[in-house]
Amino acid sequence: MTSSSVSKHFSSEPVASVAAHFGMWVFIATELLFFSPLLLGYYYGRVAFPEGFAQASRHTDVIIGTLNTAILLTSSLVMALAVELRRSVSVRTYRTLLILTALLGLAFLALKGFEYATEWREGLFPNRHFHFATPHEHAAQLFFFLYFAMTAIHGLHLLIGIGLVSFLVVRGKSVSRDTAINIGLYWHFVDIVWIFLYPLLYLVSRHG
Amino acid sequence: MVDNAIAHIMRNYCAVWLALLILLGLSAGSAYLALGTFNLVASLTIAAIKAGLVAMIFMRLRGGHALFRAAAGLGLFTAILLFALSSADFLVTKIHRAPWESPERVEVNGSN
Repeated sequence: MTSSSVSKHFSSEPVASVAAHFGMWVFIATELLFFSPLLLGYYYGRVAFPEGFAQASRHTDVIIGTLNTAILLTSSLVMALAVELRRSVSVRTYRTLLILTALLGLAFLALKGFEYATEWREGLFPNRHFHFATPHEHAAQLFFFLYFAMTAIHGLHLLIGIGLVSFLVVRGKSVSRDTAINIGLYWHFVDIVWIFLYPLLYLVSRHG
Repeated sequence: MVDNAIAHIMRNYCAVWLALLILLGLSAGSAYLALGTFNLVASLTIAAIKAGLVAMIFMRLRGGHALFRAAAGLGLFTAILLFALSSADFLVTKIHRAPWESPERVEVNGSN
Protein backbone atom coordinates (compact mmCIF):
# COMPACT_ATOMS: atom_id res chain seq x y z
CA MET A 1 0.00 0.00 0.00
CA THR A 2 1.45 3.38 -1.00
CA SER A 3 0.68 6.58 0.85
CA SER A 4 -1.14 7.88 -2.23
CA SER A 5 -3.90 5.38 -1.55
CA VAL A 6 -4.64 6.98 1.84
CA SER A 7 -7.46 9.50 1.76
CA LYS A 8 -6.32 13.08 2.32
CA HIS A 9 -8.46 13.15 5.45
CA PHE A 10 -5.91 11.02 7.30
CA SER A 11 -2.31 11.73 8.10
CA SER A 12 -1.17 8.15 7.57
CA GLU A 13 -2.42 4.66 6.82
CA PRO A 14 -2.51 3.41 10.42
CA VAL A 15 -4.69 6.40 11.30
CA ALA A 16 -7.01 5.63 8.38
CA SER A 17 -7.19 2.04 9.59
CA VAL A 18 -8.18 3.03 13.11
CA ALA A 19 -10.80 5.39 11.70
CA ALA A 20 -12.25 2.61 9.53
CA HIS A 21 -12.61 0.21 12.45
CA PHE A 22 -13.83 2.90 14.85
CA GLY A 23 -16.55 3.74 12.35
CA MET A 24 -17.55 0.08 12.15
CA TRP A 25 -17.69 -0.20 15.94
CA VAL A 26 -19.89 2.90 16.18
CA PHE A 27 -22.19 1.33 13.58
CA ILE A 28 -22.27 -1.92 15.58
CA ALA A 29 -23.19 0.08 18.69
CA THR A 30 -26.13 1.58 16.80
CA GLU A 31 -27.15 -1.91 15.66
CA LEU A 32 -27.28 -2.99 19.30
CA LEU A 33 -29.69 -0.13 19.95
CA PHE A 34 -31.60 -1.22 16.84
CA PHE A 35 -32.33 -4.57 18.46
CA SER A 36 -32.99 -3.04 21.86
CA PRO A 37 -36.68 -2.10 21.56
CA LEU A 38 -37.61 -5.72 20.83
CA LEU A 39 -35.40 -6.88 23.68
CA LEU A 40 -37.12 -4.37 25.97
CA GLY A 41 -40.48 -5.73 24.83
CA TYR A 42 -39.24 -9.19 25.71
CA TYR A 43 -38.01 -7.96 29.09
CA TYR A 44 -41.41 -6.47 29.82
CA GLY A 45 -43.27 -9.55 28.65
CA ARG A 46 -41.15 -11.93 30.66
CA VAL A 47 -41.54 -9.85 33.83
CA ALA A 48 -45.27 -9.38 33.31
CA PHE A 49 -46.17 -12.89 32.11
CA PRO A 50 -43.54 -15.32 33.41
CA GLU A 51 -45.71 -18.42 33.15
CA GLY A 52 -47.02 -17.59 29.67
CA PHE A 53 -43.52 -16.97 28.39
CA ALA A 54 -42.24 -20.15 30.01
CA GLN A 55 -44.96 -22.26 28.40
CA ALA A 56 -44.52 -20.61 25.01
CA SER A 57 -40.76 -21.04 25.09
CA ARG A 58 -41.18 -24.79 25.53
CA HIS A 59 -42.78 -24.89 22.09
CA THR A 60 -39.62 -23.69 20.36
CA ASP A 61 -37.38 -26.35 18.86
CA VAL A 62 -34.47 -26.48 21.31
CA ILE A 63 -32.57 -29.05 19.22
CA ILE A 64 -32.53 -26.81 16.16
CA GLY A 65 -31.92 -23.74 18.30
CA THR A 66 -28.89 -25.28 19.97
CA LEU A 67 -27.56 -26.67 16.70
CA ASN A 68 -27.99 -23.27 15.05
CA THR A 69 -26.06 -21.63 17.88
CA ALA A 70 -23.22 -24.10 17.39
CA ILE A 71 -23.32 -23.38 13.65
CA LEU A 72 -22.98 -19.64 14.14
CA LEU A 73 -20.22 -20.01 16.73
CA THR A 74 -18.32 -22.17 14.24
CA SER A 75 -18.92 -19.65 11.47
CA SER A 76 -17.37 -16.98 13.69
CA LEU A 77 -14.30 -19.18 14.16
CA VAL A 78 -13.92 -19.70 10.42
CA MET A 79 -14.53 -16.01 9.65
CA ALA A 80 -11.98 -14.94 12.26
CA LEU A 81 -9.45 -17.37 10.80
CA ALA A 82 -10.10 -16.08 7.29
CA VAL A 83 -9.46 -12.48 8.32
CA GLU A 84 -6.53 -13.22 10.59
CA LEU A 85 -4.74 -15.56 8.17
CA ARG A 86 -5.50 -13.46 5.09
CA ARG A 87 -1.98 -12.22 4.56
CA SER A 88 -0.31 -15.53 5.47
CA VAL A 89 -2.26 -17.97 3.29
CA SER A 90 -3.02 -18.36 -0.38
CA VAL A 91 -6.01 -16.70 -2.00
CA ARG A 92 -7.51 -20.15 -2.43
CA THR A 93 -7.34 -20.95 1.29
CA TYR A 94 -8.62 -17.50 2.16
CA ARG A 95 -11.58 -17.95 -0.21
CA THR A 96 -12.27 -21.44 1.11
CA LEU A 97 -12.54 -20.17 4.67
CA LEU A 98 -14.90 -17.41 3.56
CA ILE A 99 -17.04 -19.83 1.54
CA LEU A 100 -17.25 -22.06 4.59
CA THR A 101 -18.42 -19.07 6.65
CA ALA A 102 -21.15 -18.25 4.13
CA LEU A 103 -22.25 -21.89 3.91
CA LEU A 104 -22.59 -22.11 7.68
CA GLY A 105 -24.70 -18.94 7.57
CA LEU A 106 -26.91 -20.48 4.89
CA ALA A 107 -27.24 -23.67 6.93
CA PHE A 108 -28.47 -21.55 9.85
CA LEU A 109 -31.08 -19.86 7.64
CA ALA A 110 -32.22 -23.20 6.19
CA LEU A 111 -32.78 -24.66 9.66
CA LYS A 112 -34.52 -21.45 10.73
CA GLY A 113 -36.84 -21.74 7.74
CA PHE A 114 -37.65 -25.31 8.69
CA GLU A 115 -38.45 -24.13 12.23
CA TYR A 116 -40.69 -21.36 10.92
CA ALA A 117 -42.58 -23.83 8.72
CA THR A 118 -43.20 -26.14 11.65
CA GLU A 119 -44.32 -23.31 13.88
CA TRP A 120 -46.63 -22.01 11.17
CA ARG A 121 -48.23 -25.43 10.86
CA GLU A 122 -48.71 -25.62 14.62
CA GLY A 123 -50.55 -22.30 14.61
CA LEU A 124 -47.86 -20.50 16.55
CA PHE A 125 -47.43 -17.62 14.11
CA PRO A 126 -49.11 -14.66 15.86
CA ASN A 127 -51.81 -13.90 13.33
CA ARG A 128 -55.57 -14.40 13.44
CA HIS A 129 -55.11 -18.17 13.45
CA PHE A 130 -52.80 -18.28 16.43
CA HIS A 131 -53.88 -20.78 19.01
CA PHE A 132 -52.27 -21.92 22.19
CA ALA A 133 -54.68 -23.89 24.31
CA THR A 134 -53.82 -22.64 27.80
CA PRO A 135 -54.99 -19.74 29.97
CA HIS A 136 -51.81 -17.96 28.92
CA GLU A 137 -52.72 -17.73 25.26
CA HIS A 138 -52.27 -13.98 24.99
CA ALA A 139 -48.92 -13.98 26.73
CA ALA A 140 -47.82 -16.83 24.47
CA GLN A 141 -48.89 -14.80 21.45
CA LEU A 142 -46.76 -11.89 22.70
CA PHE A 143 -43.84 -14.29 23.13
CA PHE A 144 -44.21 -15.60 19.60
CA PHE A 145 -44.56 -12.11 18.18
CA LEU A 146 -41.21 -11.31 19.77
CA TYR A 147 -39.77 -14.65 18.67
CA PHE A 148 -40.65 -14.15 15.01
CA ALA A 149 -39.75 -10.46 14.99
CA MET A 150 -36.36 -10.91 16.65
CA THR A 151 -35.30 -14.00 14.73
CA ALA A 152 -36.50 -12.52 11.42
CA ILE A 153 -34.55 -9.29 11.92
CA HIS A 154 -31.55 -11.34 13.02
CA GLY A 155 -31.98 -13.53 9.94
CA LEU A 156 -32.08 -10.47 7.71
CA HIS A 157 -28.83 -9.26 9.25
CA LEU A 158 -27.34 -12.69 8.70
CA LEU A 159 -28.42 -12.64 5.06
CA ILE A 160 -26.72 -9.28 4.60
CA GLY A 161 -23.63 -10.73 6.24
CA ILE A 162 -23.66 -13.66 3.83
CA GLY A 163 -23.84 -11.15 0.99
CA LEU A 164 -20.85 -9.25 2.34
CA VAL A 165 -18.83 -12.44 2.81
CA SER A 166 -19.74 -13.51 -0.73
CA PHE A 167 -18.43 -10.15 -1.93
CA LEU A 168 -15.13 -10.95 -0.21
CA VAL A 169 -15.05 -14.38 -1.86
CA VAL A 170 -15.60 -12.95 -5.33
CA ARG A 171 -13.10 -10.11 -4.99
CA GLY A 172 -10.50 -12.14 -3.10
CA LYS A 173 -7.52 -10.21 -1.82
CA SER A 174 -8.20 -7.17 -4.01
CA VAL A 175 -10.47 -5.96 -1.21
CA SER A 176 -8.43 -4.14 1.42
CA ARG A 177 -7.59 -5.79 4.72
CA ASP A 178 -9.48 -3.06 6.59
CA THR A 179 -12.67 -3.87 4.69
CA ALA A 180 -12.23 -7.58 5.33
CA ILE A 181 -11.75 -6.91 9.06
CA ASN A 182 -14.86 -4.70 9.12
CA ILE A 183 -17.00 -7.36 7.44
CA GLY A 184 -15.64 -9.80 10.01
CA LEU A 185 -16.70 -7.44 12.82
CA TYR A 186 -20.22 -7.31 11.37
CA TRP A 187 -20.37 -11.11 11.16
CA HIS A 188 -19.26 -11.55 14.77
CA PHE A 189 -21.81 -9.01 15.92
CA VAL A 190 -24.61 -10.98 14.24
CA ASP A 191 -23.27 -14.03 16.09
CA ILE A 192 -23.31 -12.15 19.42
CA VAL A 193 -26.94 -11.11 18.91
CA TRP A 194 -27.86 -14.76 18.45
CA ILE A 195 -25.79 -15.76 21.50
CA PHE A 196 -28.27 -13.74 23.55
CA LEU A 197 -31.42 -14.60 21.58
CA TYR A 198 -30.80 -18.34 22.10
CA PRO A 199 -31.27 -18.51 25.89
CA LEU A 200 -33.99 -15.84 25.87
CA LEU A 201 -36.13 -17.66 23.31
CA TYR A 202 -35.27 -21.34 23.72
CA LEU A 203 -34.27 -21.84 27.34
CA VAL A 204 -36.88 -19.97 29.38
CA SER A 205 -38.16 -23.07 31.10
CA ARG A 206 -36.97 -26.48 30.04
CA HIS A 207 -37.11 -28.31 33.30
CA GLY A 208 -40.06 -30.13 34.79
CA MET B 1 8.18 -18.45 10.70
CA VAL B 2 4.92 -17.86 8.92
CA ASP B 3 3.85 -21.42 9.63
CA ASN B 4 4.47 -20.87 13.33
CA ALA B 5 2.35 -17.76 13.27
CA ILE B 6 -0.43 -19.60 11.44
CA ALA B 7 -0.29 -22.51 13.89
CA HIS B 8 -0.35 -20.08 16.80
CA ILE B 9 -3.47 -18.33 15.52
CA MET B 10 -5.22 -21.58 14.67
CA ARG B 11 -4.47 -23.03 18.10
CA ASN B 12 -5.70 -19.96 19.97
CA TYR B 13 -8.83 -19.47 17.90
CA CYS B 14 -9.77 -23.14 18.02
CA ALA B 15 -9.33 -23.05 21.80
CA VAL B 16 -11.77 -20.14 21.99
CA TRP B 17 -14.20 -22.02 19.74
CA LEU B 18 -13.99 -25.09 21.95
CA ALA B 19 -14.66 -22.94 25.02
CA LEU B 20 -17.68 -21.45 23.25
CA LEU B 21 -19.12 -24.88 22.47
CA ILE B 22 -18.56 -26.06 26.05
CA LEU B 23 -20.33 -22.95 27.33
CA LEU B 24 -23.18 -23.65 24.89
CA GLY B 25 -23.47 -27.16 26.33
CA LEU B 26 -23.50 -25.76 29.86
CA SER B 27 -26.19 -23.27 28.92
CA ALA B 28 -28.41 -25.88 27.30
CA GLY B 29 -27.77 -28.42 30.04
CA SER B 30 -28.40 -26.09 32.96
CA ALA B 31 -31.78 -25.15 31.45
CA TYR B 32 -32.96 -28.69 32.20
CA LEU B 33 -32.20 -28.37 35.91
CA ALA B 34 -34.83 -26.82 38.16
CA LEU B 35 -32.83 -23.91 39.57
CA GLY B 36 -35.56 -21.29 39.78
CA THR B 37 -34.34 -17.77 39.14
CA PHE B 38 -30.80 -19.04 38.85
CA ASN B 39 -31.68 -20.59 35.48
CA LEU B 40 -32.02 -17.08 34.06
CA VAL B 41 -28.91 -15.83 35.84
CA ALA B 42 -26.90 -18.79 34.61
CA SER B 43 -28.06 -18.61 31.00
CA LEU B 44 -27.48 -14.86 30.69
CA THR B 45 -24.12 -15.04 32.46
CA ILE B 46 -22.97 -17.81 30.13
CA ALA B 47 -24.24 -15.77 27.15
CA ALA B 48 -22.30 -12.74 28.39
CA ILE B 49 -19.12 -14.84 28.70
CA LYS B 50 -19.58 -16.21 25.19
CA ALA B 51 -20.21 -12.72 23.82
CA GLY B 52 -17.16 -11.49 25.71
CA LEU B 53 -14.97 -14.18 24.18
CA VAL B 54 -16.21 -13.41 20.66
CA ALA B 55 -15.77 -9.67 21.20
CA MET B 56 -12.38 -9.80 22.90
CA ILE B 57 -10.72 -12.49 20.79
CA PHE B 58 -12.50 -12.81 17.42
CA MET B 59 -13.34 -9.12 17.18
CA ARG B 60 -9.88 -8.22 18.51
CA LEU B 61 -11.10 -5.84 21.20
CA ARG B 62 -8.42 -7.19 23.51
CA GLY B 63 -5.15 -5.61 22.48
CA GLY B 64 -6.84 -3.41 19.92
CA HIS B 65 -6.96 0.36 19.89
CA ALA B 66 -8.67 1.79 22.98
CA LEU B 67 -11.13 3.69 20.78
CA PHE B 68 -12.76 0.38 19.76
CA ARG B 69 -13.34 -0.65 23.38
CA ALA B 70 -14.67 2.83 24.05
CA ALA B 71 -17.15 2.64 21.18
CA ALA B 72 -18.31 -0.85 22.14
CA GLY B 73 -18.52 0.07 25.82
CA LEU B 74 -20.47 3.22 25.13
CA GLY B 75 -22.95 1.32 22.98
CA LEU B 76 -23.46 -1.23 25.70
CA PHE B 77 -23.76 1.47 28.36
CA THR B 78 -26.37 3.38 26.32
CA ALA B 79 -28.45 0.23 25.86
CA ILE B 80 -28.27 -0.56 29.59
CA LEU B 81 -29.18 3.03 30.45
CA LEU B 82 -32.23 2.94 28.18
CA PHE B 83 -33.31 -0.41 29.59
CA ALA B 84 -32.93 0.85 33.16
CA LEU B 85 -34.90 4.03 32.50
CA SER B 86 -37.67 2.23 30.62
CA SER B 87 -37.99 -0.56 33.12
CA ALA B 88 -38.14 1.96 35.97
CA ASP B 89 -41.55 2.76 34.54
CA PHE B 90 -43.18 -0.63 34.38
CA LEU B 91 -41.38 -2.17 37.35
CA VAL B 92 -42.63 0.33 39.92
CA THR B 93 -46.00 1.19 38.48
CA LYS B 94 -48.82 -0.95 39.71
CA ILE B 95 -50.61 -1.97 36.58
CA HIS B 96 -54.29 -2.81 36.90
CA ARG B 97 -54.96 -5.07 33.99
CA ALA B 98 -58.37 -5.20 32.44
CA PRO B 99 -59.47 -8.81 32.01
CA TRP B 100 -58.55 -10.12 28.58
CA GLU B 101 -61.43 -9.92 26.19
CA SER B 102 -61.47 -11.74 22.93
CA PRO B 103 -62.57 -9.52 20.07
CA GLU B 104 -65.97 -10.50 18.78
CA ARG B 105 -65.58 -12.79 15.87
CA VAL B 106 -66.87 -11.22 12.71
CA GLU B 107 -68.15 -13.46 9.97
CA VAL B 108 -66.37 -12.60 6.72
CA ASN B 109 -67.52 -14.53 3.67
CA GLY B 110 -67.70 -17.75 5.57
CA SER B 111 -64.12 -17.60 6.90
CA ASN B 112 -63.44 -18.09 10.63
